Amino acid sequence: MSLNLRPLLSALRRNPTGALLVTLQVSITLAVLVNAAWVVHQRIMRIEQPTGINTRDTFVLQISGSSNQFNAAAAESEDLAYLRGLPGIVSATVSDGVPLTGDGGNTGVWIEPGQQGQVTLTSELGMDQDGLKTLGVRLIAGRNFRADEIQPYVPGKQAPASEAIVTESLAHALFPHGNALGKTIYSSEPRTIIGISRDFMGPQLGQPTERTIIYPRLPGQGGYYDLLVRTQPGKRDALLRLARKHIAAAHRYGVVVDARTFAQNNRRRDSGNRNVAILLALVTALMLAVCCLGIFGLTTFNVGSRTRQIGTHRALGARRRDVVSRFLVENALILTAGAVLGSVLALLIGNWLTLHYAVPRLNMAYLAAGIVTLVAVGELAAWQPARRAARIAPSVATRTV
Amino acid sequence: MLRMQDISKIYRTDLIETHALRALSLEVRDGEFVAVSGPSGSGKTTFLNIAGLLETFDSGTYELDGRDVSRLSDDARSRIRNEKIGFIFQSFNLIPDLDIFDNVDVPLRYRRMKSPERRKRIESSLELVGLAARMKHLPAQLSGGQQQRVAIARAIAGDPALILADEPTGNLDSLMARQIMDLLEKINAMGTTVILVTHDPELARRAERNIHIVDGVVLDAPAQTPASQRQTAAHAPRAAE
Amino acid sequence: MLGYYLRLAVKSLRRTPGLTALMVGAIACGIAACIVTLTVHHAMGRNPIWWKNNVLYAVTMDSWDPRRPYDPDRPTVAPSQLTYLDATYLYGSDIPQRKTLLAFVQGALAGAPGQSAPVWAMTRITTAGFFHMFDVPFEYGGPWSAAADQGPQPVIVLSHRENQRLYDGRNSVGRTILWNHLRFRIVGVLAHWDPRPRFYDLTGGGSGDFGGSARAFVPFRWGSMLHLFPIGSMSCWVAPGAPPLQTYRDLLASNCVWITMWVELPTAARRERFLDFVNAYWAQQHAAGRFQRPRNNHLWKVSQWLRLHRIVSNSSRLLLRIAFAFLAVCLINTVGILLAKFLRAAPLAGVRRALGARRGEIFAQHLVEVAVLALSGAILGLLLGIAGLAGVRALYAHSYSAYGKVAHFDLIGIAWALALAGVSTLLAGLYPAWRVGRTSPARYLKSQ
Ligand SMILES: Nc1ncnc2c1ncn2[C@@H]1O[C@H](COP(=O)(O)OP(=O)(O)OP(=O)(O)O)[C@@H](O)[C@H]1O
Ligand SMILES: [Mg+2]
Repeated sequence: MSLNLRPLLSALRRNPTGALLVTLQVSITLAVLVNAAWVVHQRIMRIEQPTGINTRDTFVLQISGSSNQFNAAAAESEDLAYLRGLPGIVSATVSDGVPLTGDGGNTGVWIEPGQQGQVTLTSELGMDQDGLKTLGVRLIAGRNFRADEIQPYVPGKQAPASEAIVTESLAHALFPHGNALGKTIYSSEPRTIIGISRDFMGPQLGQPTERTIIYPRLPGQGGYYDLLVRTQPGKRDALLRLARKHIAAAHRYGVVVDARTFAQNNRRRDSGNRNVAILLALVTALMLAVCCLGIFGLTTFNVGSRTRQIGTHRALGARRRDVVSRFLVENALILTAGAVLGSVLALLIGNWLTLHYAVPRLNMAYLAAGIVTLVAVGELAAWQPARRAARIAPSVATRTV
Repeated sequence: MLRMQDISKIYRTDLIETHALRALSLEVRDGEFVAVSGPSGSGKTTFLNIAGLLETFDSGTYELDGRDVSRLSDDARSRIRNEKIGFIFQSFNLIPDLDIFDNVDVPLRYRRMKSPERRKRIESSLELVGLAARMKHLPAQLSGGQQQRVAIARAIAGDPALILADEPTGNLDSLMARQIMDLLEKINAMGTTVILVTHDPELARRAERNIHIVDGVVLDAPAQTPASQRQTAAHAPRAAE
Repeated sequence: MLGYYLRLAVKSLRRTPGLTALMVGAIACGIAACIVTLTVHHAMGRNPIWWKNNVLYAVTMDSWDPRRPYDPDRPTVAPSQLTYLDATYLYGSDIPQRKTLLAFVQGALAGAPGQSAPVWAMTRITTAGFFHMFDVPFEYGGPWSAAADQGPQPVIVLSHRENQRLYDGRNSVGRTILWNHLRFRIVGVLAHWDPRPRFYDLTGGGSGDFGGSARAFVPFRWGSMLHLFPIGSMSCWVAPGAPPLQTYRDLLASNCVWITMWVELPTAARRERFLDFVNAYWAQQHAAGRFQRPRNNHLWKVSQWLRLHRIVSNSSRLLLRIAFAFLAVCLINTVGILLAKFLRAAPLAGVRRALGARRGEIFAQHLVEVAVLALSGAILGLLLGIAGLAGVRALYAHSYSAYGKVAHFDLIGIAWALALAGVSTLLAGLYPAWRVGRTSPARYLKSQ
């Protein structure tokens, strides 16, 4: 196969605008393709971040009083007793926030008294001694709350609880050199770190969501509570329905505001990222498709309008693969020009994304992969019409069109 | 009808300049039938294109139908082409998508004619060339000779004063060629000026006047046909046909 | 002549069905992508009460912790809600023509005919000003009186949906309903009203800025009468040594911000006077030991309020840009194909020119062909866009993100789509049509 570039270039010169347009198309597609893939990758990484929670066998019921006559403390201990007595339930707890949902408080934590020095922001979650077990979060140091540390709520004169369990991340953020256990930390009141748990995603969805402080919940505080329940595998949905029905009827002044599995909560949590990833991938794929169809269309068209010319070449002795390679090389030239221009564009866009959207710097491997993909797909798009060109009989040269 | 004075035309490309016409002068009277011949590359087509206002020229003056058309705008030239000139090409140049009726319709459309008037003209000109029955055919469904007759119908549908034909018989056999020639004579007899480029001396001989273009200039040759006969036909009133 | 061009255009497009499909499809895809992202973007960013943009103001004061800003990322921005102390004091001013306070509490509705169990109904505690200031439309009845705010009287306004649910959409005004076990008289039922974004309260908490809206409205003071903790967004800070928040009374005296306040100030003079009033209050409280952060009292127009809360998400902006890049690729594609197609047909244009067509006429003929493409692309794009919006809604049905919730198609969207398709495709066709219009009449006639 001999490649003589001069006739090719002259062919391009004859319709330079057409070639230029394809180049432009290819370059924009490449730039968007590479950056979109990069952004999608970032989003997927965020989706795949483990929650640290058992999201398979757990559900939550949110109960709220509908009157100041609602005795939340009595209601929640009643509900807990009911749930813990149900066959099939592994563990149940009452909390004042729901991990993965954005429903819950956050607070600042200091390591010096009087809220002096540097503050660390964290999710907060009040639960009882069954909380960690219910969420499926392991304690890696220290101990859990004891039942006697969970005191009943007496409006007006509550002795503040003084224990806290913190997640690994929070412990590390507060005490980078370790030994968080046993230290006293300060938020609205001083607390002693009695345990350190594995990381899990807390109620607050802002980053970093793994920092959570858990303290013994004051039962009945606030007139509302969340029941977190973990069931034996496979029994979640049935028990959710049962518990919901029972509790909805149990309290005269209380209403079940929401009942939901943690799997649902988790899906809602990451749906933003997932959906953006899906939409980006979709639009980019469409773009690639349109670009390839454009190449396909133009090559088909060129083949169509050069039928006689190709026939003449064939009559003068060109082989089929000479014809195919001629079109493919012509296309490759355009693709290469597009790739060069597109790379520059991709880097510019990547830079801009880094500046304005806090997307990490574009990975060059993505650019390389993008170029390879586009050139390969682009050549594939031209291949079919080029083969059709090769099938043109030499005899068309002698026939009038 | 047509008066050219010292027309020259130079084609410029990157490499060379071609003097296609060199100070060509020519006069064609109303109702004349002129045959143009000359060696290949001598400038016949160039002359015809200039005469038909398809191309501009570099110097000289050109009067068409008593009007100086040297410096008209593109739109004005289009208008004159549309109203006064009919073209017949060697390769017919019918529009393949359009059926015969619509092909003949093209110049009339650009004249913004009303539909009934257009229909009347299309039908009568197709009748003249003997293809009235084929109005719904596409060009590809006709023979070469028939296609050329459609092209003639298209050229005369607008009732032009001047017909320009560039080797209209070049792609046809001699029988067909004679038929086309008959048609052109018939049209000429109705009062239309005809300028015909041809390589065929036999056809050229049938014209009222013969012109040779060699190397971009006219070598006037004596008419070879009995002038008197043609003259009478040419000047017969149109209504008489 | 237009009819003639149209016929020629259809003939030409039908001669190359593959290319035509490709072009129409590409335009439609590009348009659809733009419609979807634009509709969402537009819906997110629009000001639903633009006609009152210059008279309605949200009030903020920086009552936050002296040692750290409310939002560490934007230290100069005050909390967007007020404490109970401040809100009730500022509400006492009679400088504003109208004023209102907003918060959410829990509500249980019971006692409608045929109703078995109480239903949970997120309730907005607010004042009569709310309905007047935000031009809230009523289906039956109307807002409660100013006296009802004072009492507070047991009056309630139901949302359209709640009235549908409890009373089958019948006029329930005058009926009595149990709200949190107390007898309330229904004074009004809203017509369908769901401005998006929900500009008047952008602190939707877990439900997102575009999330569920209130099902019932009662006078603001019922919250403190019944000790109902707010269930919307609430942020607190506790001074060192201060006791933790436990009782409802603690809440009222606390630093917690949980009340949104709006005032209606029709003139600049009133606006100045009210700001002076707020500043005077700030100075007095500052002297008494509160408000130890720099003075940051602010009145926000609705448009500023929306911008402050960054209602238009980054994802939305990113998707919009990509959609336009996509449209650009589609259009470049179309330009390329049109150009090739038109130039291939240039000899025919040459014939027409020889037969007397002017440049403008050839140009117009081809532009009409482009217009037919544009129209087909627009219509198909519109359909694809509607389908795409439905897809986006489905995708976001269970999401906290507001993106999909606002993906509704309206007349403006349709106008956008048609305009976008029309203008962009015509632009794309302009150059090819112009190129072929310039065909010299002689060029293609000699040798064919
Ligand atoms: N577009 C052009 N560009 C450059 N040179 C041209 C162009 N058209 C014609 N010529 C040159 O002008 C000269 C006259 O050409 P023209 O077509 O008028 O010849 P002709 O007499 O019609 O020949 P034939 O009998 O072969 O048709 C030729 O030398 C030709 O090469
Ligand atoms: Mg010639």
